[in-house]
Amino acid sequence: MKYQVKPLPQVNLPELRTVGKPLRKVDAMGKAVGDTVYAGDYSMPRMLHGKVFRSKQSSARITRLDVSKARALPGVACVITGFDVPNARLVSDMPGQTGQKQRAGSDVPVLASEQVRFYGEPIALVAAETLEIADKALSLIEIDYEPLPGVYDPLEAMKPGAPVVTPPDNIVARWKIRKGSMESGFEQADLIVENTFRIPYQEHAYLEPEAGVAWIDERGAITIRVSTQVIEHFRTIARAVGVRQNKIHIQGTMVGGGFGGKEDITIEIYLALLAKHTARPVKMVYTREESFLAHAKRHPYVIKHRTGVKNNGQITASKIEMISDSGAYPYLSPYVLLYTTVMAPGPYRIDNVQVDAISVATNNPYTSAFRGFGGPQACFAYEQQMDDIARQLGLDPLDVRKVNYLRTGDCTATGQVIESATWLEETATRAMAALGEQTPDYGSVKIGQGFASYFQSYGRITWMHDTSQAWVGLELDGTVTIRAGVPDLGAGQANSLCQIAAEVLGVPLERVTIYTTDSALTPLSGTSTATRQLYMSGNATLMAATNVRNVLLNRASKHFEEEIEALDIADGKAFNKSDPSQTLDLVDLAKMCASEGMHLSNLALFKAPFTDPINPETGQGQVWPDFTFGSFAAEVAVDTETGEVTILKAAACHDIGRAINRAAAEGQIIGGGMQGLGYGLMENLIVKEGVIKTPSLSEYLIPTSMDYPNIQAIILESGTGLGPFGAKGIGEPALTPAAPAVASAIANALGVSIPEIPITPEKVLAALDLP
Amino acid sequence: MQSEIELYRPQNLAEALTLLADYGPDGTPLAGGTNIVVELRDGHHNCKSLVDLSHLMELRGINQQNGYIVIGGGTTITELIDHPLIGAHAGILREAARLFANPLVRNRATVAGNLVDASPAADTAPPLLALNAEVQLMSQAATRWIRLEDFITGVRKTLLQPGELMFAIRLPVPSDRSAGAYNKVGLRKADAISVLSAAVMIELDDAGLCKQTGIALGAVAPKPFRAYEAEALLFGKVLGPELITEAARLAAEASRPIDDIRGTAAYRKRVVAVTVRRLLTKAVEVLK
Ligand SMILES: Cc1cc2nc3c(=O)[nH]c(=O)nc-3n(C[C@H](O)[C@H](O)[C@H](O)COP(=O)(O)OP(=O)(O)OC[C@H]3O[C@@H](n4cnc5c(N)ncnc54)[C@H](O)[C@@H]3O)c2cc1C
Repeated sequence: MKYQVKPLPQVNLPELRTVGKPLRKVDAMGKAVGDTVYAGDYSMPRMLHGKVFRSKQSSARITRLDVSKARALPGVACVITGFDVPNARLVSDMPGQTGQKQRAGSDVPVLASEQVRFYGEPIALVAAETLEIADKALSLIEIDYEPLPGVYDPLEAMKPGAPVVTPPDNIVARWKIRKGSMESGFEQADLIVENTFRIPYQEHAYLEPEAGVAWIDERGAITIRVSTQVIEHFRTIARAVGVRQNKIHIQGTMVGGGFGGKEDITIEIYLALLAKHTARPVKMVYTREESFLAHAKRHPYVIKHRTGVKNNGQITASKIEMISDSGAYPYLSPYVLLYTTVMAPGPYRIDNVQVDAISVATNNPYTSAFRGFGGPQACFAYEQQMDDIARQLGLDPLDVRKVNYLRTGDCTATGQVIESATWLEETATRAMAALGEQTPDYGSVKIGQGFASYFQSYGRITWMHDTSQAWVGLELDGTVTIRAGVPDLGAGQANSLCQIAAEVLGVPLERVTIYTTDSALTPLSGTSTATRQLYMSGNATLMAATNVRNVLLNRASKHFEEEIEALDIADGKAFNKSDPSQTLDLVDLAKMCASEGMHLSNLALFKAPFTDPINPETGQGQVWPDFTFGSFAAEVAVDTETGEVTILKAAACHDIGRAINRAAAEGQIIGGGMQGLGYGLMENLIVKEGVIKTPSLSEYLIPTSMDYPNIQAIILESGTGLGPFGAKGIGEPALTPAAPAVASAIANALGVSIPEIPITPEKVLAALDLP
Repeated sequence: MQSEIELYRPQNLAEALTLLADYGPDGTPLAGGTNIVVELRDGHHNCKSLVDLSHLMELRGINQQNGYIVIGGGTTITELIDHPLIGAHAGILREAARLFANPLVRNRATVAGNLVDASPAADTAPPLLALNAEVQLMSQAATRWIRLEDFITGVRKTLLQPGELMFAIRLPVPSDRSAGAYNKVGLRKADAISVLSAAVMIELDDAGLCKQTGIALGAVAPKPFRAYEAEALLFGKVLGPELITEAARLAAEASRPIDDIRGTAAYRKRVVAVTVRRLLTKAVEVLK
């Protein structure tokens, strides 16, 4: 074994009855037997089929658009162009329920009518009686383009005289961090290490492409049943469609994978416009190829690190420059860039930090949210940099990290004090230990082990003033109902709330039913993004359930003639802790409360910490509520003759604070890890002049179950998170360290590192060919 | 998307041949559909009538006849994996079948469909070429045998005539003194189109000299092909490491790959040499 496993500090977490157990998720059966009605499974009488007509140019003026033949085709109910809806604009700002200021230039025409800025940009909408007729109508739309100069490389786009995608210039966002002094930091250094890292696009490749059905209900509200991570988009949709906010009703469905790709508005506005214009139900389901064209990708970055270090590995200065490709429209690029900026130095204590980050517009596919939200790109760069520092100093990679790892009470580069546990060495040594002895080299195959550590925020940016609501009620038969606007992406968001309510109200999980993701009928809980649902809605549910519990205990204390503190509720009964044979069934207790007019339900609002924005000149200030820490380790076999890389073993260790459902948490760790390994080794979105050359799943390859070994998921529970029962978040963090860990293992096998993912066989051979 | 196609489901081989004869160039055989259906959906196939052969038992099955292994054209890739005759006499074909697509596709995809589709990356072609396979083409009027090597003429081009179907594929049963090896290089371990694939067969005489060879390559030229220069070098010699390396180099030289989204031509050439060297070495090991 390479490293001594670092012992954990003593943690005394109370044993709970439901929370922490790997119980079967409440949504599991519906999925297993096919009862879950996903967005694309839904149909209505008299339903039309919608299609989008898209640009076949990356940068062009539209000189003629003629939809008359499409309109005249029998069976076509309507064709809508940008000329029909001149005010329809999609404000691609941070989604959600908080009303921060709108960024300039962030609004996108829903349908382009004068100019197209990326290949695939929507130009017209069609609704027809059948899918075949809708397709035929698309082929009858006539369009002429006058090509405009395009810009496809962010570095080119920053140069004077480069084509401007949207005036005034191509700079979409900038962030800076200034902490300490570069001059003195580099002066103290014994060695300066410099590297440039290139990190690519990634496609979400969710199983379920964008899908939904919209209709006008009997109140005149446009109801949109859709697969989305954000039901709060109803406000933006209302503005784009030109109706009042309470006339858009989002019925979110169980989501067949989101990963950030359903964080921006997808098809909602198209469906709403078509339903409004035809007054009939309209369905739209993207094909896989259209899904590739239509939604954002993970941002490619170029990241430069210049690090000053002492001979013992201690970092004295870190100067980082980064450029991201925002594509043709900003969407969430400014926020993703902020994440990358703040996480850029890694989970290390550094007194002197300077980060300069820019996001640049190009005529490439647009980029926005993707699991990790800028964190994985930062992590790939800082962890490769740490490995290179170790190599150049002749030190072990863990030793270099150990002297720098953040500790509780330390400050991040923006001056935010970390109050929770920072189990970095604890996770790194456990992940490495799980790999066991290193397999020996054989023939031309070289074996290597490596790891990466990370920190990643959970919860939204604190100046977004994030809130979440949940409603919990006890029914008269002792069952529990939860209402919360949480979209469930398949990660168990809804189930976790059920386990929390079951714990607090002392009922078995089967007695809890949850209603989710409805903008009109469930209290708004905010977005299923930013690894925030367990933290935010988990806390809101905990509050609401606790308030109901208090009502019950109050009444029970009268019944037992005991103090509240002497009582507890479990297995559907209130009981006296000192004499558990004294019980009162919840059904009876609920009836007593109801007949006395006591409130058996509660609507709670949980607020994250609210702060002011960071200082724009120095980046100083709090950015997020807290962070998750962890490490990923991998052992690889590299065929030095063919460049093929096989992952032999993989392990991930994360301190998730507290596991609410252990099986679901392991699922996140394994699934996120696989997605990160694919990002590091395989996934290759080839884009030429703004056109995706790998626009399907036979060309853009993602890992299959044959490709990577099982990831050993090691869950640590410090109990120090801000979520319910001390939980942190794991949805996004799970992905972040996988790609750098595998890159590190490859470098360990070969003795040369490859500063660019995906590490394809050709890149391996090219690296080996270097003198 | 295409909406108007006629689909025929003949009850037996004779009906199928009649339909194909009647429709001539407008009639397209349909087997597993794992190429055709994909192309129809993409609008890349403009056939008018499909003649479904997938349920015709006459086209199925694998047996041994007169010194040949005969494989019905409608045999699925899964059946290749499972059949004892293939395991015993055509291990390289079995290996190619094992690395082919994914279990769902393998259950539908047929050998004839793979060969008639004639993609440069058709994975059954290199092992069948190395095994000196012939294909049997049948029309209402006549039946003919053609060497597989001649059958595929270019990128997705074959000698199949309108009205014909591929009834069977046969390969001479290799001698006991022969061994083979196969590998497919893809960008992932399942469901990947070949970056390149290679199959080798060698037969040694009693003195241990190379008596017969078959070295075939896929995805590195407009069509899967035999590397005869490399084979010629080996003939009549003891297969030592240097000779094998030189033959592998000749095989790489004979390949004419292109740059595409899966790899560059330079990478393919380089890895052909590595792969052929390893496969020959492995086959020689087996015979030791
Ligand atoms: C997801 C996926 C993965 C794939 N992976 C691979 C892979 O790894 N390797 C590989 O080589 N291929 C692969 N393919 C391609 C395809 O599966 C194979 O080429 C398969 O063998 C085609 O057989 P089929 O029976 O489905 O042919 P079909 O699609 O039915 O037909 C293909 C062609 O053959 C003709 N044809 C079929 N049967 C006959 C016959 N008896 N006589 C005359 N003509 C006939 C048809 O007219 C058509 O032109 C893949 C396809 C998919 C969809």
